[in-house]
Amino acid sequence: MNAVSRWIGERLPVSGRQFKELTNEPVPYHLKRWWFALGGTPAYLFIVQIFTGILLAFYYEAAPATAYRSVELITNEVAFGWFIRSVHKWAATLMIAAVILHQIRVFFTGAYRRPREINWFIGMCLLMCTLLTGFTGYSLVFEQLSFWGATVGANIADTTPLIGPFLKNMMLAGSSYNEATLSRFFILHAAVLPVTIVMLIAVHITVIRLQGVTEFRFKDEEGGTPKTFNFFPDHLYTELIIGLILMILLSALATIFPATMGPQANPLQTPEVIKPEWFFYVAFRWLKLFGGTFAILSMGFIIFTMFTWPFIDNWLRKHTKFQEASVWVGVVGALTVISLTVWEAVARH
Amino acid sequence: MTLETKRVIIAALGGLFLLSLVFVQRMETARKAEEAGLRAPTIAVPSDSRECVDCHAEENPGIVAHWTGSTHAERGVGCYSCHEADREDADSYLHHGVQIATVVTPRDCANCHDAEADEFAQSHHAAGGNILASLDNFLAETVEGVRLEFNPHSPTPGRAFQAVNGFASANSGCQQCHGAKVALNATDGGVVTVDDLQPDEDGIPTNLDAVGRIARDENGRPLINSRTWPNTGIGRLNLDGSKGSCTACHSRHDFSPRRARQPENCGKCHLGPDHPQKEIYEESKHGIAYRDLKDDMNLDAERWVLGESYSAAPTCATCHMSGNIRNGGRITHDPGERISWTNRPAVSLAMDTDINHGIVTDTDNETRRELTHDSWSQKRDRMKEVCSNCHTDAYVNSFYKQYDDLVVLYNEKFAKPGLQIMNALLANDLRTATEFDEEIEWSWFYLWHHEGRRARHGASMMAPDYTHWHGMYEVAERFYMELIPQAREIAQHAAATGRRSAADAVNAVIDDVLARPEHIWFEEGAEGQAEAIRREMERRYGVPNR
Repeated sequence: MNAVSRWIGERLPVSGRQFKELTNEPVPYHLKRWWFALGGTPAYLFIVQIFTGILLAFYYEAAPATAYRSVELITNEVAFGWFIRSVHKWAATLMIAAVILHQIRVFFTGAYRRPREINWFIGMCLLMCTLLTGFTGYSLVFEQLSFWGATVGANIADTTPLIGPFLKNMMLAGSSYNEATLSRFFILHAAVLPVTIVMLIAVHITVIRLQGVTEFRFKDEEGGTPKTFNFFPDHLYTELIIGLILMILLSALATIFPATMGPQANPLQTPEVIKPEWFFYVAFRWLKLFGGTFAILSMGFIIFTMFTWPFIDNWLRKHTKFQEASVWVGVVGALTVISLTVWEAVARH
Repeated sequence: MTLETKRVIIAALGGLFLLSLVFVQRMETARKAEEAGLRAPTIAVPSDSRECVDCHAEENPGIVAHWTGSTHAERGVGCYSCHEADREDADSYLHHGVQIATVVTPRDCANCHDAEADEFAQSHHAAGGNILASLDNFLAETVEGVRLEFNPHSPTPGRAFQAVNGFASANSGCQQCHGAKVALNATDGGVVTVDDLQPDEDGIPTNLDAVGRIARDENGRPLINSRTWPNTGIGRLNLDGSKGSCTACHSRHDFSPRRARQPENCGKCHLGPDHPQKEIYEESKHGIAYRDLKDDMNLDAERWVLGESYSAAPTCATCHMSGNIRNGGRITHDPGERISWTNRPAVSLAMDTDINHGIVTDTDNETRRELTHDSWSQKRDRMKEVCSNCHTDAYVNSFYKQYDDLVVLYNEKFAKPGLQIMNALLANDLRTATEFDEEIEWSWFYLWHHEGRRARHGASMMAPDYTHWHGMYEVAERFYMELIPQAREIAQHAAATGRRSAADAVNAVIDDVLARPEHIWFEEGAEGQAEAIRREMERRYGVPNR
């Protein structure tokens, strides 16, 4: 046994004590509260996406002539194909919801403030990547929603001043949807974006480890309450419970509401009603309300503001009397997003 | 929360997750087994139908097999759910301890499908049994058959027939599409029908004397008159006062939506010389596309909405009944809701319908407006919603202009004049009130009932050959070569036999018709027109080589 330990120790020079120290980072006590422990949820779901995505990629064929048929094959014929595809679809939905909820929590608790501005910035990048992955994902099925969603998306990008035509050309691999478009979407969805997300998550977690998690104290906590508790096994158990609940939820959703297929993409037939997936409802309604270049520029401005909010918030707190401006901006922002999403959901056109 | 508690929760959740995977595995295995035909689809036999299924699986395995593949079976709707009857129902009987009836009527289906049954009850389909007093029925029961039983005039070797059923053509022909008046044998040798039973609004007979006359076998089972049953005619007149038969389109016992969506289903009745809608559809681009693209029609979809579930081609159901994305996927069981002309009568009528879904025939515009509950243009707009899934508004409007033009041409050039001449003959006593006993009545019948309908239906569904060669061409030939000469001959004969004034009256009508610009060529010749056409052709295409 000693010989084996020695052999491993020579090649992996980390002692048990060091390993324990590395993994047993003290965790702030407020993480005992469940809703503060949800930051790991998107990561869980991302792992599910990678796992199910690889399985789906075994059968998926990224060409207009074969894409729809290959998804049909996965859904109807491949063993467990329907389940894997359904889990992938539901995990995507939950992941986007989880990222948004995590961001809302960070925003309202001011956890993005100095010195954590960079991590907020990385979080925003992760949000953008997640949304893009969702967009490219539903484009792959090559049903009517996929085709027309991609076409509408590209046309929206086209209205961006100066770089619009370039963006559209990059998205579609040409001036309109063509044979090469789908493989471009697939590479983005299955390689470029996931790798980017992995790297961003790595940096995100590293920064958290370097800076530590923002600590909160709650009024009901007694003076004697310890400031921290052990990551292992206490917090790990919490994360495990959350993970298992997620897996059960995904399993239930996939079996009760399995992923279906809409009509195959038909470039000659424009559907009367084109709606993107729910997470783009807000942007879609915004575009309908304001239209064209203004909508694009205003959305760009809002996203820019979101990225730079830690600095804006800092300036407001330093130079104005609006110390809690972020709360009110957050409330208005969240209500706007919810209202526009619901509006688009209930509107027929 | 202590670590110990967390461990317990993790163990419980882990177990639950594994259980969910086991469930998924079970679903997958069942799916594969079903696909491989190793096991029947999951069905639920309700307890009240268990005995029926067990017994009929032996006695009539086909019935049970059909039901087993149905959505009813999947959702636990069993034999008794549809065949259940009240003791008071005229045709009910005790069968292995449960009260049932053989004939399932729309009233029974309405227990679950009430909206569909309501729509159907108001449709022209439900009134299909009204033919029992029509000209067509006179043909079947008098001209083709006879309204009585008579003795065979000579033996049929090998068979011993005691009587000839004069209604046979009506029973096996007309009524299998239009619907029979379901009758039970009576103890006095007659029959008991809905007319005798006088059912109340719940379908329960109010005339107990009629109920008492129902003949039953030794098990108490009422004897359904074989002239009226089996019958799945769409306008069947049922003993409970309801009209129609849902199985006319939704074949028992699998009630397949897939089948009801296919044109062959409607083709059981909508075909033949007088209303060849099925053949017309097949000739049209719609039918051609359907044959080619049937695999893309998504016929098994639970929700079959044009523009959402499929777009490959339309079937009869698509245009006349099914939902489309333009109308929010709303299905109707009243096919008349989207039909703007009725081409059934000799002269086509605009489909303005009153509150009772009857066609408004009044000619005064003000009265028509008052009576009309659902106008022809509203109906046309509903059809246009269907068309516009695949065609632009301009295209659809132009099509309807072409269709209107054809109907109006037929009405004005042949139907109304023909009717005028036939009425003149009748009014002047130059033909009898009995139909089909004179040659001109057959000519007139062929003109409007067969050829005229073919032309109009052909135009309504874009089948050029039916519009022209099987339609207007034959209408014209019948009009000029038979109807007019026969009417002239009748008038001539009348004049020769001392009925000059009657002959003059009829001739005046014919002269008036033939003097119209559209008919003038017939008596005055059309050499000028022929020459004009020739010159125009030469201008366009040059002088032909001879």
